[in-house]
Amino acid sequence: MMINKREFLVRAQLEDKTLEAWIQEEWLIPADLAGEMTFSDADVARVQLIRDLKNDLGINDQGVGVILNLVDQVHGLRRVLTELLQSVHNRA
Amino acid sequence: MKDPYETLGVERSASPDVIQKAYRRLAKKLHPDLNPGNKESEERFKEVSAAYDLLSDADKRARYDRGEIDASGAEKPRQHFYRDFASEAPAGHAYENYSGFADFADSDDILSELLRRRSNVHVRARGSDVRYELPIEFLDAVAGAVKRLTLPEGGTLDVTIPAGIQNGQVLRLRGKGRPGLGEGEPGDALVEISINPHSLFTREGNDIHMDLPITLSEAVLGGRVNVPTPTGSVTMTVPKGSNTGTVLRLRGKGVLRRDGGHGDELVKLKVMLPEQPDADLEAFVAGWQSGKAYDPRRDMQP
Repeated sequence: MMINKREFLVRAQLEDKTLEAWIQEEWLIPADLAGEMTFSDADVARVQLIRDLKNDLGINDQGVGVILNLVDQVHGLRRVLTELLQSVHNRA
Repeated sequence: MKDPYETLGVERSASPDVIQKAYRRLAKKLHPDLNPGNKESEERFKEVSAAYDLLSDADKRARYDRGEIDASGAEKPRQHFYRDFASEAPAGHAYENYSGFADFADSDDILSELLRRRSNVHVRARGSDVRYELPIEFLDAVAGAVKRLTLPEGGTLDVTIPAGIQNGQVLRLRGKGRPGLGEGEPGDALVEISINPHSLFTREGNDIHMDLPITLSEAVLGGRVNVPTPTGSVTMTVPKGSNTGTVLRLRGKGVLRRDGGHGDELVKLKVMLPEQPDADLEAFVAGWQSGKAYDPRRDMQP
C-alpha cells in the first residue's frame, strides 16, 4: 500500500527534517507518483531498521549507510538466487 | 519466559553499561534484517530485545528483581522487519541492488539475462562491449592515422590507428561501448581493423614487397632507378647483370616494428622488353651467338 508523506511521517514517527536528511543520504528512496513523494510499508519498516541500527545497536551514521548498502546487496543476491533456483527447477 | 539475565548472558549484578554491551553484541548478530535468510534469528532477537527492554529500564529491572513482575510482561509487540518487505516486494524494489555480483553477469548468460529483465530498475551493471569493423587503407596502416567511424545508431567515433597495425587486429576503446545500467560503467568499443590491398605493395609481417619493372638495358648495364616506398620515392642502384626475380632490399623502408625499428622494402625486379618490336634489338639478338648457347630450361627435365 502506498501512502503520502504526511501519513508516512505519522506512521514511521519521523520528523520532517530527519526524513529529508535520510533521503539526502539515500537511506530512503521514496517513490515519485505524479510529482508527489509516496511511501510504502517497506519504507516504514526501513525506518524501523535504521532506528534499530542507530539507537539499539549504537551504530553511527557512517555505519548505517554502509550497512544499508550491504543489506540491499544481500536482498539483490537473494532475489537473483531465488530466480536462478526457480529456473534450474523449471528446467529439471 | 526465560530469565532475562540468562538471555543476555550477564550477571544479576551487572551494571547498565555491561547490560547494554551484552545486548548490542547479541543484537548485531541476531537482528533479522542483518540475517535475512535466518528464520530463527527473529525469535532469538525478540527474546533478547525483550530482556534488554526490561533490564535497561532501572525501574522495571528493580521490580523484576523484587519479583513484582515477570519477564513476559516486558515483551514489546513488533509485527515486522524490513526483510519481510524486501523479500516480498515486487521485483526490482527501489533499494535492492545488484552491484554485489554485477561482474559475474559479464561472463554468464543466465545471470545477465536475469539482470537484463531488471534493467529498468536500480541495477548497476557494466555496459556491454560493441564490435565494429573498420576498413582502412594500406598506407594508413603503415603510417598510422586517425579514422572516423560512423556508428550504425548515429554519432561517430574517432579511432586512432597506430602505425604498423596488422590486418585483423582489434583495437579496444575504453568506455565507448554501450552505457552501463544505473551507475555501472560503460562497456568498450572493439574495432576490428581490415586493411585494404594496395596496387603496388604487399606486406609480410613488417616487410613491404613490390615488383619493379626495369628495362633490358637497366638489367644488362645496371643503373639508378626510382622506386616507390610508402614514404615516397627513393633512388636505388640496379647492379649490372640483374635479372627478373632478383630481389633488392631497401633497409628501413618497411613497417614500424614494436621495438621501434622498421622492416625493409623488398624490391623484386622484372625485366621488361620494349612494348613495340624493335628492329635494332632483333638484329642484335639474331647475331648474338653466345646468347643461343644459354638454355634457362636446362634443369627443367621432368
